Amino acid sequence: MNGIIFENVCKSYGETAVVKDLNMTIQEGERLILLGPSGCGKTTTLRMVAGLENITAGTLKMGGQVVNTVEPGARNIAMVFQNYALYPHMTIWENITFGLFIQKIPIEEIKARTKQALEILNLSGYEQRKPNELSGGQKQRVALCRSLVKQAPYFLLDEPLSNLDAQLRLQARTELVKIHNLYRPTFIYVTHDQVEAMTVGQRIAIMNQGALQQLDTPDVIYQRPANTFVASFIGSPPMNLLQGAFRDGALWIAGSRVNPPTKWHTLLAEHQELWIGIRPEQCCLSDTPMLHGQIEFVEHLGSQRCIHLRLHQDGQRLLCMLPADQPIPTGTVGVSFSWQHVNGFDGHVGKNIGLPNKISHNYAC
Amino acid sequence: MKINSYRDWYWHILLLLAVVIQLWPLLFMLSTSFKTMDQIFLSTLNPLPAKPVIDNYLYVLKNLPLVQYIVNTLLIASSITLAKIITSILAGFAFVYYEFSHKEKLFNTLLLTFFIPITVVMMPNYLLISKLGLLNTPWGVILPQLADGMGIFLMRQSMRNIPKPLLEAGRLENASPWVILTRIILPLIKPSVIAMGIVFFINSWNDYFWPLLILHDKPTYTLPLALQMFISAEGGSEWGIAMAVAMLTALPPLLLYLTCQRFIMNTFMQSGVKG
Repeated sequence: MNGIIFENVCKSYGETAVVKDLNMTIQEGERLILLGPSGCGKTTTLRMVAGLENITAGTLKMGGQVVNTVEPGARNIAMVFQNYALYPHMTIWENITFGLFIQKIPIEEIKARTKQALEILNLSGYEQRKPNELSGGQKQRVALCRSLVKQAPYFLLDEPLSNLDAQLRLQARTELVKIHNLYRPTFIYVTHDQVEAMTVGQRIAIMNQGALQQLDTPDVIYQRPANTFVASFIGSPPMNLLQGAFRDGALWIAGSRVNPPTKWHTLLAEHQELWIGIRPEQCCLSDTPMLHGQIEFVEHLGSQRCIHLRLHQDGQRLLCMLPADQPIPTGTVGVSFSWQHVNGFDGHVGKNIGLPNKISHNYAC
Repeated sequence: MKINSYRDWYWHILLLLAVVIQLWPLLFMLSTSFKTMDQIFLSTLNPLPAKPVIDNYLYVLKNLPLVQYIVNTLLIASSITLAKIITSILAGFAFVYYEFSHKEKLFNTLLLTFFIPITVVMMPNYLLISKLGLLNTPWGVILPQLADGMGIFLMRQSMRNIPKPLLEAGRLENASPWVILTRIILPLIKPSVIAMGIVFFINSWNDYFWPLLILHDKPTYTLPLALQMFISAEGGSEWGIAMAVAMLTALPPLLLYLTCQRFIMNTFMQSGVKG
């Protein structure tokens, strides 16, 4: 009942369209991440759910009701702002209980809810402090606490971890998932950090230039990106996108003839020009290579090494991950990959061409 | 280092000169109020009275209805200050919190009122007050001064400095605009409100021209009007008494300014208005 449905939702400021024709359903109680680069419209989308931005066109439904014109306060939403939005003149206790007093919740319940939330977030003992006496991590927990005590069916978070250092961010991610599991509100989380998205989200909605690119589970988005934008946005290092063409029953990449499994032929033949997407960790150095390239640079990443190759003939770049215990190769090397992990994208529109019905594994790494 | 210290001295001397020029009339007023009539004419420019006397103050306190004048001035200045604070806060809040058509145009029109000379509005205001039968009453002085463009501008600027998410957080908590104004905004802009109030109070306290037009009977006079009795044809040349009244008139706003100087400086510097 408490799901959120976007039907052809648009938002524009004057002539500038910020969100374009958004169609999306968020299930009740799920953790959905809105992910995308800066200016992609993800925060605007979240603010439309909160009622802080008007909807230019389309319909937004929450809990089965159209809420286009419903005031933010009447939507029963808890929101954590990027800069926490704690009232600087109020104590932590006053900050947390401010909304509860407005809702005229009995004082005994306010005390009980606040005590529980403070304990969950390790903030007991800080009640009488002012926000400026707290560290960034503590402020962030107070903001979470303020949203938690509201026990609203919708929990919105606008880049809540962006002001924290790496260590605290790791800790906070786990806390967020725990908080969600406490009473399972419908959870919308805006971030531009793909690690946060992959670890916190049950589903991820990737946006670019105001349009929804893909909405799916982290695994599907990682393994089967809907288009070249998602393929290059998700993953660090990103997916290799190699320009190729299907001619004479074979795929030609950088002047090399690559023989795809027979099942792929029909699919590839529909798109004469293609982008072939292969994750760097699915590429391996091989004695029976499919592609040849010159090593340009080797990045040391601790447990792995990232080899930067320049392919022969057309000079396309290919990244390849190797375990750190393997010797570092030099000069020209051969690379092969498994077709099980390959994604094909249309050369013109960049859309994923899909998978053949059955995939044979001819080239295991 | 030498060049720097030379420059510092240069500026210090200039500033000291400016301060002396600014303070000289005050000093003159203070010293004259403690002089006898003979001393005033014998040592006009000497700021230190040879034998300070408090006769002028005693005369003023005994012979003038000073309490009446203070009450009149206090009533008028406090009412105007309170009214201007309330209208400035409410109008400033409306400009910051609500979205309505022609908002910017309306605000710019309001700014234009800064540039209308007071003498231009004086006649229509006088006629209106006269028609309302409020001549010779404090309400005639108060009524045309219930709102102030500068106050609205200052409040809008102060409220705009509050991070927007704070107000949005309030809206999400279902707080009414009144709760957002009183519980979130006003505590955050308290120093600006105090500073603005002090400026309004001092201006109203010292206001001379408008009360002069409206108040005709001596019992309704404010302190600046009472002061005028001693430096006009009516008062003759009672300079010592005039300066004693001037001192008593200037003292409350001066003390108010000195105690709250910090708020005033911060507020006007933040809003980019030259005080």
